[in-house]
Amino acid sequence: MDPLLPPETAEAERAFPQALAACRDLDALLRLKGAYVGREGSHVARLMDQLKAAPKEQKRDLGAAINALKNTWEEALKARQAELEEARKAAKTLAWDRTLPPPQPARGALHPLNRLMGRLVDVFRPLGFHVEEGPEVETEEHNFDGLNIPADHPARGSADTFYLAAHPGQLLRTHTSPVQVRTLKRLAPHIHEAGGIRFLAPGRVYRKDEIDPTHSPMFHQVEGMLVGHGIGMQHLKGTLEYALRALFGPATEIRLRPSYFPFVEPGCEVDVSCPLCAAKGCRVCKGSGWVEILGAGLIHPNVLDFAGIDANEWSGWAFGMGVERMAMMLSQTPDLRLFFENDQRFLTAMGGLD
Amino acid sequence: MWIERAALAAELPAAASLATRALAERLASLGFPVDAIEARPGTEALDVDITANRGDAMSHRGLARDLAARLRAPLATLAPPPAPEGPAKVAVHLADPGCPLYATALLTLGPGETPEPIQAFLSALGATPKKLPAVDASNELLHRYGHPTHAFDADRIRGAVTVRRAVGGEKLVTLDGVTRTLTAEDLVIADEDGPIALAGVMGGDGTKVTEATRRVLLESAWFEPRTVRASAHRHGLHTDASQRFGRGADPAMAPVARDLLVQRLQAWAGATLEGAWTAGALPAPAAPVPLTEALLARIAGEPLPLAEAAEALMALGCGVTAGASCLTVQPPTWRHDLTIPEDLAEEVLRLRGYDRLPSILPPLEGPPQPLAPDYLHRQALARRLAHLGFHQTVTYGFVSPEMDAAYPGPLGSDAYDDQAERTLANPLGQEYSILRRSLVPSLVEVAKRNLQQGQREVRLFEIAPTYRGLPEGLEDTWTVALLWAGERWDGDPESKAALVQAKHLHGVLKDVCLPGTERHVRCFADDTMLVAELPLRHFRRPDDRIIPAYTPHSRFPAVERDLSLVVDRNLPWQAMAEGVRAALKDTALVELTCADLYQGKGLEPGTKAWLLRLTFQALDRTLVGAEVDGWVAAALAAAQSLGATLRA
Ligand SMILES: [Zn+2]
Repeated sequence: MDPLLPPETAEAERAFPQALAACRDLDALLRLKGAYVGREGSHVARLMDQLKAAPKEQKRDLGAAINALKNTWEEALKARQAELEEARKAAKTLAWDRTLPPPQPARGALHPLNRLMGRLVDVFRPLGFHVEEGPEVETEEHNFDGLNIPADHPARGSADTFYLAAHPGQLLRTHTSPVQVRTLKRLAPHIHEAGGIRFLAPGRVYRKDEIDPTHSPMFHQVEGMLVGHGIGMQHLKGTLEYALRALFGPATEIRLRPSYFPFVEPGCEVDVSCPLCAAKGCRVCKGSGWVEILGAGLIHPNVLDFAGIDANEWSGWAFGMGVERMAMMLSQTPDLRLFFENDQRFLTAMGGLD
Repeated sequence: MWIERAALAAELPAAASLATRALAERLASLGFPVDAIEARPGTEALDVDITANRGDAMSHRGLARDLAARLRAPLATLAPPPAPEGPAKVAVHLADPGCPLYATALLTLGPGETPEPIQAFLSALGATPKKLPAVDASNELLHRYGHPTHAFDADRIRGAVTVRRAVGGEKLVTLDGVTRTLTAEDLVIADEDGPIALAGVMGGDGTKVTEATRRVLLESAWFEPRTVRASAHRHGLHTDASQRFGRGADPAMAPVARDLLVQRLQAWAGATLEGAWTAGALPAPAAPVPLTEALLARIAGEPLPLAEAAEALMALGCGVTAGASCLTVQPPTWRHDLTIPEDLAEEVLRLRGYDRLPSILPPLEGPPQPLAPDYLHRQALARRLAHLGFHQTVTYGFVSPEMDAAYPGPLGSDAYDDQAERTLANPLGQEYSILRRSLVPSLVEVAKRNLQQGQREVRLFEIAPTYRGLPEGLEDTWTVALLWAGERWDGDPESKAALVQAKHLHGVLKDVCLPGTERHVRCFADDTMLVAELPLRHFRRPDDRIIPAYTPHSRFPAVERDLSLVVDRNLPWQAMAEGVRAALKDTALVELTCADLYQGKGLEPGTKAWLLRLTFQALDRTLVGAEVDGWVAAALAAAQSLGATLRA
């Protein structure tokens, strides 16, 4: 380097070749050109400022040195520009075979079970329902006692429920209903200000079932619960009619049949007119036009009492549905195990993204 | 439970004219769904689902009773000629409150066998006729009327009969030939030698009726449901009898069933009644239950006349006393499930038909609650990862001990963790015995399967809780794991596929994690798989503010300066970036990037060349050359302190 040039020009000169090589397109090159030989703020512009201020006797030689440097840079820039322009032209003239597929951005998928649960939450949001969750490792108190399930109920046995070896009182929740117990207890002190309680509880649950096409030791449930003043079966029916129509289409009909669950009274099973055959009768609905979709009922007064909510003032309804069962019905997936195998082709086809 | 059509119609004549399909629909609307209808010789059988609270409906008579109430049609009369009671031929002692009532009779059998139609009836229900009248009659009564009875070979009973708790360790060989070791909670029927039956569950082998039996001693008792359930559960013996006693049989049926059994043995086997007698008495009736007009209207969704409710409850066998706005209801002896007012309201609605319920949306009484930030966070993250090309998996929360040992989990191997705390007492198998501390082993399995299936690229993620075993119990942590394996290719025939590299996964983490946290990620290859796992709290959250606070951007020109540096090959970029940024704190530096990496010819071995690009821009003015020179010199000095030299 010319000794007349100031030392800070040194690093600029050193960096130039690599910077030039790093220009992969004309835009980058233009920016580099601006930084080195541009009219304002560039290395050359700065040197020109210094030239003006330089002592008279140095001006000539310094001017020559600056010019030499400027020429070197400009030539190199021009050469690189020509290269890049050539490459661009070549790329332009290179025929794009329009019959070939264009490159695609990567596309993943949500799991179909999560997607379905998300959809259920979306459906209930406009009614003021929020989401409550709870731990998967639960106590007998939350999983059974608080739900009016008798102490000698067979579901409490080790043939049905997984227990922890080191903590015999702890278990893997067998339904999302313990979330009810926890949430009612937590919200009970504020129930008057809040004007009742309404929430959905989606989540994973565990039961000691051998793995086969219709059973899995882990599966998903979504529970819904509402507590208010004067809540009766008409509100359960009205809400489910709204929700199931939002899910399956406006022409959907629902049917309530009496049933029994220890934590509700009255209890019912809810059928929906078969969404696959418009209730005309098909394999899925076994020709009946109806498919069983969930269990529900009015919250048993013992459940409210257990949570510390006055059952004389407040009442409510609850429902619970199996997510896998609904997913299998809607998609006609023949084997439950497919949902836990996580084959990417299955996930992409069934879950996708919305 | 199987129901034979004709036998149902025998209890409820009005059912005879109903088509089987219509009958099934009526039953379903009453809460007894019919799972299947099957043809039997000359008739049809219906497989009816009975819920756990309705032990009273587990017979033809029981279902007919509900149907009769619904159809408002009369039941066939059930009034067998009562067996004349006399003094006890065999002493019966009721030594435990678990059995308050025990009706019995002693009969001498004559010749004869089970009539053909009865054998056909039993066969239609899937039961095997034994062709021994005493056994078949007892079985027939159970299915027809729901009350379990038992016949002992009277000549094989020694001394008095006692209903008592077993003495722990006592043995009983049950009818199925299995030797049962009894506990002190088991209620048994015993003679002087020991237990001869497990009460309400199964008779004993030693006193069973055989072809050689000449005299039978009957048992038609009532056992307390909880005791029977516990014994059935303890011995894994779920019998027709235990299911009915366990859900609550009708105590008033005990003497009636005894009479019916006597009648059948007389008719079928020419039996002679030696004597009939009863020990104990009916248990006290349940307390009456009130039903107010207001509660009924609240549950029904509209005011219902109390008279209609009273009529429905009476049709079901309840005793009803009507008050001004309240009914006082005495449930019948067979309905142990009617204990609170809500139970009664359900009965009224059930008979009325749930299809007549009004349908309205519940009014909102308070402000709607927002979704929890944690929930929103996971939803948004899942969506982002899916948009970045990752597939969300759902895998089991438990793994094998070997899988569990393979990875430390999101908190790293330094975090305290005791596998024993995470072990299940009763797993499905070793394979599923440990609550997992890491999602990675599960993802690796899924990835392997996908690669075996011919997928060229696998991108997976899972968001689920992981567990840490602490002395006080389990601690759960919402965890996110990512896996990337195989070859990346965008499907463009002009571009090439290339193996996934660690930097690609780092890039994704940089996108979704909080700044700086991607450095803490354990990112390692298992064969060709890249994996990363960390707690959810390390991931970027959706901003609380709808629109973040305004940050001004400059309208003055930016100055770009490059430094071509040679550095040690092992120097991390992070260190360089931090060093330079620290040196240029409070300057107009707006961006620092590595614009080019060169490794190869012309460089000293063990070094690499970085092209540092520094961009300066001020909010308030055009920068002058001198100040930029100063900053670049400072950046160079900082780089040199990390061992960098200017590239020649
Ligand atoms: Zn259908």
